[in-house]
Amino acid sequence: MEESVVTYNAFHHVAWGTTISVYFWLVGASAGSFVISSFGWVFGLKRYKPLAMTASATAIVMLLIVPILLTWDLGKPVRFIYLLIPGYWHSTGPMAWGTLLICTYPMSMMVYSYFVIKNDPTFARITGIVAIVLALSTHWYTGVVMELNPGRFLNHTALAPLLFLTGAFISGIGLMNVVVWVRNFFLPEEKKIDWALIHEMAQFMMYGIVFDIFLLYLDFMQTTYGNQNEVMGHDVVLMQVFRFPYLWLELVIGLIIPLILLTTPLKRSKSVAILASLLVAVGVYGMRVWWVMGGQYLQSFY
Amino acid sequence: MGNQEIQPKIPRSYGLQTPGSKGVAGKKRYAMVIDLRKCIGCMSCSIACKTEYGLPLGVWRTWVKVVDKGKYPNTKRVFMPRLCNHCDYPVCVRNCPTQATYKHEDGFVLQRYNRCIGCRTCMVACPYNARHLLPEKRTDDNLPRMVVDKCTFCIHRVKKGLVPSCVQACVGGARLFGDVNDPNSEVAKLVATETVTVLKPELGTSPSVYYIGADWEIMDEPHSYTNRTDQMVDEFNDFKRNHKGDAFADIIEGEPLMSEVGKNWMGFLRTIPHKAKETLHAFKIFLFD
Repeated sequence: MEESVVTYNAFHHVAWGTTISVYFWLVGASAGSFVISSFGWVFGLKRYKPLAMTASATAIVMLLIVPILLTWDLGKPVRFIYLLIPGYWHSTGPMAWGTLLICTYPMSMMVYSYFVIKNDPTFARITGIVAIVLALSTHWYTGVVMELNPGRFLNHTALAPLLFLTGAFISGIGLMNVVVWVRNFFLPEEKKIDWALIHEMAQFMMYGIVFDIFLLYLDFMQTTYGNQNEVMGHDVVLMQVFRFPYLWLELVIGLIIPLILLTTPLKRSKSVAILASLLVAVGVYGMRVWWVMGGQYLQSFY
Repeated sequence: MGNQEIQPKIPRSYGLQTPGSKGVAGKKRYAMVIDLRKCIGCMSCSIACKTEYGLPLGVWRTWVKVVDKGKYPNTKRVFMPRLCNHCDYPVCVRNCPTQATYKHEDGFVLQRYNRCIGCRTCMVACPYNARHLLPEKRTDDNLPRMVVDKCTFCIHRVKKGLVPSCVQACVGGARLFGDVNDPNSEVAKLVATETVTVLKPELGTSPSVYYIGADWEIMDEPHSYTNRTDQMVDEFNDFKRNHKGDAFADIIEGEPLMSEVGKNWMGFLRTIPHKAKETLHAFKIFLFD
């Protein structure tokens, strides 16, 4: 067989790195936590009301870190203001919309939290609906910003926003369960959140895990039955270079082990529910790593 | 007639930017034809470009990819000069959040440094690796820094009736430049009569850099990864170690991945001092000048 080797080519950097993957994880965990917060006040599930403030506070804290990371990741941090100025703002750029969402989502959460503290169910419901739409849109956008790059074969799939949202939902629950567990250590007995709620949340998380595995299976089918670049994306990027975040961190640690823990009688144990929650929260970060960095990896050699 | 597939059947319009102008009567559409039968791989084009724009180390607006084929003694070396394809439907223009990159009505895809925020969205969007981030340290403080840069088809020369510097420097006459919408131009005649190809036509970007006599393997993206020499692997690793950009996600092959992710995070933290300095400088100008 004739040999054919690349003996010279220019070298290229991968443009988006750890900062962006951490941002995707934070915004996802924030959106997921906020969905839990809205159960009681927006969807009328009263038994979830005690969770609302903890979940909302977790979501706000997660999201307050995001602008710092994103602004500092810019080559020109001061120019972040251009993203908000008419005349600069570009309606076809997904990031332009994302900026608006990142600005409005925390504000809407704060307004919602104010009405929750004031115990005003009407306004809490109205502002909660707005906030939940913004929460989902903010995380949906992170999938879209990666999806709308037709040259990045691993990212260019309509499954991207769904994968991101499902990851957000389960990592948000996971993170919030851990926060509640830690919080319960420091509170008097009457203010502690009931463990039954944590177990219910863990059940929700389990349904999310099943759906996430299903979505990953669909993605697996697309890449393995796809074109040459998609197959390379799966065989080289996911199964070799990014094997740890994809196979071990996301699939095994973040999805399969928690699924086993939550579908067996072990799930009745508090420690198991918290362990599964922690594993899911950490495992979803693996997805953010391979999605952001892996998607750009192969092309840096082209 | 084999060239019809490079013209998209369905015109696209990407938001606020100039619509595609290839084949539109009364419009200019500058394009480059690279006749690879004449390319000798001397890299004069890369040097001319570097000199024209004073490009720093580690970044290229144009470069020449080289592939060695065959087995001794029956060997062949093939070349492929690469540059921005000045797409008729550029993804980078569509995705830029601040309109820093735009498409000129004559077909040039250009970058406005004063609008660029350095978010690198266009670098992620570009399927051809045609964009780079200018480093923080430059030889002259007045030169642009930490913004994205790219080939301009030497618009400053073209507007004065000259050809781009890479075309001027090409010793074999492999690079040709002109208005592809003008049927009397050399590029239009070549595109009409020769079998030309473009890079990644399946993406629908309608590139304006046409190749004559391109080898399929040198155009292939997976081939660039799977068929590298060991020397290329080492050199790329060295490049990643020594050419530290700001918060780039470079993975050094052979190193544990998560340690590379951690190092990448540290790289981000290392940018804090110089970005803080620049931020303070900007506020000082805003408040006192």
